[in-house]
Amino acid sequence: MIKRWRRLIPQSEAPLSGPSLLRLLRAHRRNRGLIRGFLTLLVKIFPAFFVAITYAHAGPRVTLSIGDVHSPVLNVGGVQVSLSGSNGSLLEIKLDEITVEGKTWRDLQFTCPGFDFAKGVLQCDDGVLRMSRSAAFPVTFHFSSADKTLDAKIRTASNGPSEGWRLTARWEGGGWEGVLSVRNGQAAQIAGFLPAGEGEIAASPTSGKINGKAKLRVDTDGLAGIEADLAVDELAFSDASGLHAGENITVELNAKAVREVGGKGNSWQWQADLNWRRGEIFWQPLYFAARGHRFNANGYVNDDAIGLNEGTLLLAGIGKTNFSGVIDRATVAPLDFNLSADNLELAGLFSDVLKPFLVNTVFADLKASGQAGVRWRFRAGAHDLLHVDLRGASVEDERERFAFRGVNATIPWQAQRRTQANISIHSSQLGKLPIGELHIPLQIDGFNFRIPRMVVPILDGKLTLEDFAASPPTQEPPSGWQWQFSGGLSPLSMQKLTEVLGIQIMQGTLSGEIPRVSYNGSVVEVDGALLFKIFDGTVELGNLKLLNPMGRAPTLMADVTMRNLDLNQLTGTFSFGSIQGRVDATVSGLELFNWKPVKFDASLRSSPGNYPRRISQAAVQNISSLGGGGAAAAIQRSFLRVFDQFGYSEIGWSCSLRNGVCRMGGIELQPMPHGYLIVKGGGIPAITVMGYNSNVDWEELVSRLERITQANVKPVFQ
Amino acid sequence: MVNPVFLFRFILMALLSSIPLSGYTQADIQINTPAIASLKQSMQQRHGQLEAYYAGGAVGLTNDGLIAMRDASALPLAARQAVNTLIAAENQDRNALYREIARANGHPEWEADIRSTFGQRWIELARPGWWYQNAGGTWVKK
Repeated sequence: MIKRWRRLIPQSEAPLSGPSLLRLLRAHRRNRGLIRGFLTLLVKIFPAFFVAITYAHAGPRVTLSIGDVHSPVLNVGGVQVSLSGSNGSLLEIKLDEITVEGKTWRDLQFTCPGFDFAKGVLQCDDGVLRMSRSAAFPVTFHFSSADKTLDAKIRTASNGPSEGWRLTARWEGGGWEGVLSVRNGQAAQIAGFLPAGEGEIAASPTSGKINGKAKLRVDTDGLAGIEADLAVDELAFSDASGLHAGENITVELNAKAVREVGGKGNSWQWQADLNWRRGEIFWQPLYFAARGHRFNANGYVNDDAIGLNEGTLLLAGIGKTNFSGVIDRATVAPLDFNLSADNLELAGLFSDVLKPFLVNTVFADLKASGQAGVRWRFRAGAHDLLHVDLRGASVEDERERFAFRGVNATIPWQAQRRTQANISIHSSQLGKLPIGELHIPLQIDGFNFRIPRMVVPILDGKLTLEDFAASPPTQEPPSGWQWQFSGGLSPLSMQKLTEVLGIQIMQGTLSGEIPRVSYNGSVVEVDGALLFKIFDGTVELGNLKLLNPMGRAPTLMADVTMRNLDLNQLTGTFSFGSIQGRVDATVSGLELFNWKPVKFDASLRSSPGNYPRRISQAAVQNISSLGGGGAAAAIQRSFLRVFDQFGYSEIGWSCSLRNGVCRMGGIELQPMPHGYLIVKGGGIPAITVMGYNSNVDWEELVSRLERITQANVKPVFQ
Repeated sequence: MVNPVFLFRFILMALLSSIPLSGYTQADIQINTPAIASLKQSMQQRHGQLEAYYAGGAVGLTNDGLIAMRDASALPLAARQAVNTLIAAENQDRNALYREIARANGHPEWEADIRSTFGQRWIELARPGWWYQNAGGTWVKK
């Protein structure tokens, strides 16, 4: 009897007993595919089991219980094998738990009612394999010790006869070779095989068909080689949150892995070629649709690391990237990595890869074009080198805040060395302001950047930038990027500036000395003053601060001082009717939110000195019509209509803007009981203009000024 | 079909006019500064786009006055990225709104209370069928 059973055992296998079973199980430590592992486990267990029952064969039912089997890579708990029925034709195997390399499956049960063993052949035509979380799988197997072959098939119960998995194997010497083939295998069934506890987190397949073959080669040390040629169609997968998901995916995978002979520990060489033909993937925050993306790589894997010798990722619409590196298996983090790409299309690179990471930043609405080359080196867990080349690149903000066109740049960055970047930009635009050709000699030292000097051509003037320095965010105190520079603005034609800004055309120049402009992570602060020479006078812009400059609603703060503005030029420019004379004005505590005034204290007063002071009828009408239609009518009714011009001795007006309301006043030294004096008469014929309404809605005032229609101001004729 | 912009205005108005900040009765929730007006306008414009995602269950109201992707599976794959972007922009505005209201009241330290009050009221004013997070962080359908 014993001999009969012994004959069933392949020659290479040592028979029997607990320790031998353990050894057999150990031999499987590298078999990761569960189906394959399970089938071969059956094959390995049977001999031990059948020998065991030869000793215990006394009753109609024979049960063998093996408590727990432990090995470094494979633990099996609660193994029960029983044989019952007539001639021992009902085979039942139960495993409470099987753990392979940290992954656990529970409640595995295999039953075969028509089990037959005779003449060196183990045969089961109607077995069923059940797992706790998956449907029942019909299993058939045929094992011949004489031919040293195994032919095992698993069909997924819910599927038609054409869908199934098959393992054919043949023993030779100390090992075996086999082919695992799958026809219309349901990828969703794999979800049930995924170890308990992980399926909820990891993205698992919900549908899809797998076709193809995997050749397996096993020697005395376990799995020695695998060669897979698989096609997956209509694959869909998702994690519970839906943030890592794919749909309708077709991929072709060709992969090969060979265990290194004489290698240290568990060491393999592998190569893989993945061709993504159809479908779409969302892997937060990236979204890719198949457009012929392709990946191939070769390398090695051992107990400690996954090595990439040569890898190529071809992203359609972006370009080809080559990479190599070593990834630590314990932390799944790169140790060393090299990436190089010579010709990437910036348009695709930005829209498909970079843009999702730039949400809520100033770069969120960019569109880019041109080509880029990238070389990145990562050594011992740290960035070591990054070279970026831009060729004929353009970067434009879709909200038209800025644009850079014709960018050619070589930007080398190295962790341990100071480098110099050369950036040339053919033309740029900041808002509506065009900027001429730029050459930026950028010095890079780690994450600190310097530009000793550069000239920014703006229209017919130049902004000279000196000692620009930018430093990265710090932890203590917490801050964002910081930068500063000094410089100066050489005279710039106000006519050209106002033309491009699309505002009222003005004559004059704009210039300034800027001792220091700094940005502390949230506020741009300008020390010194910008000087405008306009309307034959001066306008000085000081204490300039810009809060949240790149946000959706920047706030600007400044003090403005104007001296000796020629009213004739000013009123002529704004078609206000002519006023001869000069004014000084101050606007202190000016705050613009989203480029609209929200707070200021402004006052305007005739400049000291002797000069002609005349105001035209049209100007009087316009000033007074701010206060209502009565003024114009009053002039028309009176003898004053025969005069084109009137004399005045002083003009004064003030406005304090708070909460959308302008509190107005006139010439301060002349308080009036029911109003305020705006134009004080003088000469012949003289005219005095008074205002009566001291609180005016700012928006309303602006629209009145624009339309010059109605307001509460009446002229007094003398 | 109620105009989503109208609905948003109504909700925001109801919210702003009905919040008694417990313990901070001096806080003026209706305070209006240009920054607050700009944030409200931006949120109002976005609400029309977000409303369908609230109703469909893809996006829900969190218990800290923000919104979050509750079930991305309710959206076509190609739309998930865009909805993520909408959520990020909305949360940026909401955080800025709470900060601005506290700042405009002259008490930046009230931000957390203003946020939590807004959080409760957004949920109270949500339409039936929308999802929100209860105090324990579990998603509940209103």
